[in-house]
Amino acid sequence: MTLPATSFDWVRQLVHRESAIVLAPGKEYLVEARLLPIARSMGLPDVGQLVDSVRTRPSPESTRKIVEALTTNETSWFRDGDPFTALSSTVLPSLLSARGPAERLHIWSAACSSGQEPYTIAMLLEDALPNASTRVAITATDLSREMVERTRAGRFSQLEVNRGLPAAMLVRHFTRAGTEWEVAPSLRRMVTASECNLAAPLPRMGPFDVVYLRNVLIYFDLPTKQAILRRVRALMRPDGWLFLGAAETTLGVDDSWERVVVGRSSAYRPLKGN
Amino acid sequence: MRALVIDDSRAMRRIVSAALEGFGYETRQAGHGREALDVLQEGYGPDLCTIDWNMPVMDGLQFVSAVRANPAWRTVTLMMVTSESEQSQIVRALAAGAHEYVIKPFTADALRDKLALLGMLPQEAVL
Amino acid sequence: MTLAPARAGRQVITALIDEVTVESIATEAWIALVGEDEVLVPLAGDLPAETLSAWVDVVGPWTGSVVLTTGRQTAADLTRALLREAAPELLDHEDVVDAFGEIANVVGGNVKASLPGPSTLGLPQVGAAPAVRNPEDVCRLGVLWRGQPLVVSVQGALPPLPSPHTPNENPHQNGASL
Repeated sequence: MTLPATSFDWVRQLVHRESAIVLAPGKEYLVEARLLPIARSMGLPDVGQLVDSVRTRPSPESTRKIVEALTTNETSWFRDGDPFTALSSTVLPSLLSARGPAERLHIWSAACSSGQEPYTIAMLLEDALPNASTRVAITATDLSREMVERTRAGRFSQLEVNRGLPAAMLVRHFTRAGTEWEVAPSLRRMVTASECNLAAPLPRMGPFDVVYLRNVLIYFDLPTKQAILRRVRALMRPDGWLFLGAAETTLGVDDSWERVVVGRSSAYRPLKGN
Repeated sequence: MRALVIDDSRAMRRIVSAALEGFGYETRQAGHGREALDVLQEGYGPDLCTIDWNMPVMDGLQFVSAVRANPAWRTVTLMMVTSESEQSQIVRALAAGAHEYVIKPFTADALRDKLALLGMLPQEAVL
Repeated sequence: MTLAPARAGRQVITALIDEVTVESIATEAWIALVGEDEVLVPLAGDLPAETLSAWVDVVGPWTGSVVLTTGRQTAADLTRALLREAAPELLDHEDVVDAFGEIANVVGGNVKASLPGPSTLGLPQVGAAPAVRNPEDVCRLGVLWRGQPLVVSVQGALPPLPSPHTPNENPHQNGASL
């Protein structure tokens, strides 16, 4: 059941292209261990056949699964914290002054993975607003049912809470449960998680004041990127804010957005009249 | 930037030092809190101390309290790196004056993320 | 004749932690410390004749030791894996004592945090494993690392309590809590 060298090279190139992460030679074992569950879930006996299958019939969904399985240790809380700093320093005050005191803010974490992003947003809001759970609703979506369920559960391993979560926030917003850490019920109440495929027509949601769509567009070709941005825009308030991953932009993809600098981060806002 | 790595296990001192050096730190090591205080007193001015909790002679919590009691050392960032992992222990360490807390086991990525939170990554590390 | 009252506050380890929890603690320690592709296979193997143990004591509502036992060669291999590039060409016994002890400290600290507290953690010790005082008060996990057997044992330090069904042999002992 050893992985053929050509399959390993294909995976290495894919991961490097999509995430800029280099898999060193000799990491065949890691590729096998991480990708075998995906192969099994697709009814394939081994990783070699998984690679063959994806090579002959490429799909963003399987590509993303493979890349994520090999880069999961990149999931951290405030790493690349600028889009979160921008939320509490600029975006939130501006939205609060623009909206009525009884109006709820709607925030969408559009590729929530195992839940670090929506709960990071929830923690920031709870620390910034006296009545966050009634003022804010966070919608968390992911393509993967497993990730949606993990987000709903709100439980994280010790290795996961070690990744870029300030210790003061850990003890304030989590409780140790056995070997895991569980987010506070008040945060869980703020977050609603569901499955959603961004590459297909979107369900009725929103309208959203803030959308986090980070490290998603990189997996798609240009027409799909354009379609996703168009659909996301249709679910946003006219004065809403969109955050993309550090390596992503709307520039050259969809010109109906205005890029604004917020602190050390960039956000995109719908251009009027488009 | 300079770091003082305090742990009674020399394997752990090597692991933490190697990670910090990879981020661009210059490091020194101490095997317990008393030895670490001696290093500070002789004038080695670290920007960062990484501190194990359970050590002979003087434990990490006593070391944190001693550093916090001396105004001359108030600019040093104190980061616990320990297998003590109850919520109540983390609260105790933060109350004593530790700035951050890394639970063992940890990866070099976890150290890097915590240093990034503290604004204490001398150079952007390559993955 | 009255039965000795049940003694609150002294539970055996199997009521407090299970093998699955110990396995997840050990697995996380291995991934982070030994290497991200270092798996522990949850299969018990026969330990070789020459073994080495590393342990830490936990003192609190539950008192005992968290003991790692493996073959001497496996302990040396673990030390190399832990030190990676920093490993000296020739390991001496001190290197193995130090590294194996630190792994016991990491596993033990996390086992302690899963038990009722407050408890204190002792410094790591390495040598021949402490004796099992009460066979009922042991949670034992056998795993294979790189095909070699390794045992994680969370074992109580106190002898068994007299069975509540035997008549109270000491009339003055009135169920004092331990």
